[in-house]
Amino acid sequence: MLMQGFAVAGTPENLMIALIGCFIGTVVGLLPGLGPINGVAILLPIAFAMKLPPESALILLCAVYAGCEYGGRISAILINVPGDAGAVMTTMDGYPMAKKGLAGPALSMSALASFTGALVATIGIVAFAPLLAEWAIAFGPAEYFVLMVLALCCLGGLVGDSLPKAMTACLIGLLLSTVGIDANSGVYRYTFDALHLQDGIPFIVIVIGLFAVSELMLMLQNEHAASEPITLTGRLMFNTKEFLMAKWTLLRCSLSGFFIGVLPGAGATIASAMCYAAERRMAGKDHQFGQGDIRGVAAPEAANNASANGSLVPMLTLGVPGSGTTAVMIGALTLYNITPGPTLFQDQPVIVWGLIASLFIANVMLLVMNIPLIRVFVAFLSIPNWLLVPGVAAVSLVGVYAVHGTTFDLILGTFIGGAGYLLRVMNFPIAPFILGFVLGDMMEQNLRRALSISDGDVGVLFASPIAIGLWVVAVGMLLGPRLMRMLDQRKAVAA
Amino acid sequence: MSERILGGVLLLVSIAGIFIGWNYVPPVSYEPVGPRAFPLLVLFLLGICAITLMLDKKSTTTWAPTPVLARIGLLFLIVLAYALLFDKLGFIIATALMTIPVARFFGGTWKQCVLGGIGLGVGMFFFFDRLLDVALPTGLWLNGILG
Repeated sequence: MLMQGFAVAGTPENLMIALIGCFIGTVVGLLPGLGPINGVAILLPIAFAMKLPPESALILLCAVYAGCEYGGRISAILINVPGDAGAVMTTMDGYPMAKKGLAGPALSMSALASFTGALVATIGIVAFAPLLAEWAIAFGPAEYFVLMVLALCCLGGLVGDSLPKAMTACLIGLLLSTVGIDANSGVYRYTFDALHLQDGIPFIVIVIGLFAVSELMLMLQNEHAASEPITLTGRLMFNTKEFLMAKWTLLRCSLSGFFIGVLPGAGATIASAMCYAAERRMAGKDHQFGQGDIRGVAAPEAANNASANGSLVPMLTLGVPGSGTTAVMIGALTLYNITPGPTLFQDQPVIVWGLIASLFIANVMLLVMNIPLIRVFVAFLSIPNWLLVPGVAAVSLVGVYAVHGTTFDLILGTFIGGAGYLLRVMNFPIAPFILGFVLGDMMEQNLRRALSISDGDVGVLFASPIAIGLWVVAVGMLLGPRLMRMLDQRKAVAA
Repeated sequence: MSERILGGVLLLVSIAGIFIGWNYVPPVSYEPVGPRAFPLLVLFLLGICAITLMLDKKSTTTWAPTPVLARIGLLFLIVLAYALLFDKLGFIIATALMTIPVARFFGGTWKQCVLGGIGLGVGMFFFFDRLLDVALPTGLWLNGILG
């Protein structure tokens, strides 16, 4: 099956698309303020408008996603500003290394770490995804509904500074997903007689509003004097001694990153922080973590790339994304009228395996781009914001306009962006919002189907052992992380 | 305080939503759960969250200083104007007009802003419209020339 995937991903057009995606991804990733979710969000409407076939569009988005995870480290190491949230931990040792004149080894080691992480995780996808998909086929609508509740609870429990805020964000997303004509009954819901809202709020409009327009407003708020990047001098490659020092770190962090990524909710940021802390503890006495230890750049980069790829597992096998970025990709599938879910592996082998194969190809491309060609990307760090911000604004609106060709979508997107900005300033997490919006329709359909089968008996949602298990985990994930934090605080107070 | 105001607004939204949604009953029903249940459930939970937000005393919001906030508001209005004028003025002019003030906000000089605006407008038009086949509005005035 994987060979079939390579046949799809290996066509000249798709190779070209992957190459372009990797390049754009790395650039978007290294620009401070723009991360994978912004890159995927901005390119999705353009891919759609260019009428790319679904597998090519997904290859493009995945290459951008993978590339962003590589790019984030470049600005982390050279200007001490993480290019995306997953690269926060890379600043801890990357910037000190660069200050010591070791920017080259830091960049090449982190590129190798990114590659190892991504490779291990992609092998993990090949090994585990088909098994998980087979298991999930036994799910009925009731189990499915609970599974989606679980996904939302996981994300809600882990992100943001308060539970009510995360839940509010998620519920607003769910609510917006109900706008439009109800497919089962033909009733118009919350359209307020607006013609353009009959088919619901377009997914692309929400995505661009939340991840492009509001992002630009935040960039204006956080604008600070850009620090001069450290110039790349001396050797570019790490040496054998450095490699031997980091090899087990690479492997350990890649494996744990993958498993953290598979869990819904826990994304690249959490994986890189956890692995960095663990490696630091394991390093014993004679480590230089915090002052420029090579393992300190290897650990977070291996972990964040592994978890980014790992988070594709629930998306591909269950159709339930566990992160904001994979939620956007699920939305991309639905734009092409492909229903995500456990049957994806059977119904759309070309897309699924093509995507997995393209991940292998994209990562080799990225490794090549990010070691010998690193200077090309470093040059992008000097793009001034006065050119970047209007450019991003224009590209985003081009994408939205191209889909339906109406300014209504542009105006709606701008207002959603403004609202998104207010929510983000108040520390409402945005990932549950987009996840709620993407899952809303599927949740409602599965709930109604389950209750139709049971003739209105709500008990069906708690009937099977799988469903009960999922409920228990959902409640645990929603309350667990916060309870643990409260206990920690109490312990700290007592001590 | 900000969270409490937002909580109040959301509470009103959920009450209004429940009020409006109550009438979403199909003329003929084939299923035990109609189009009304799910939105009402979501709105009910949203209402509860809104009340929790209103009761929570501690706030984690730090607003930007007023001059920055004013510029952010202006940025929003510029993007809104850009959206409104996108197909009336055509992509090239609208983009150039949008770029100039936005680039000024981010520290470009006047010369950089004007050149950057024209460059972005023309460059992106040809890149998307001609190279990638993503149709962009030319605006009424240019239809004759570029048609």
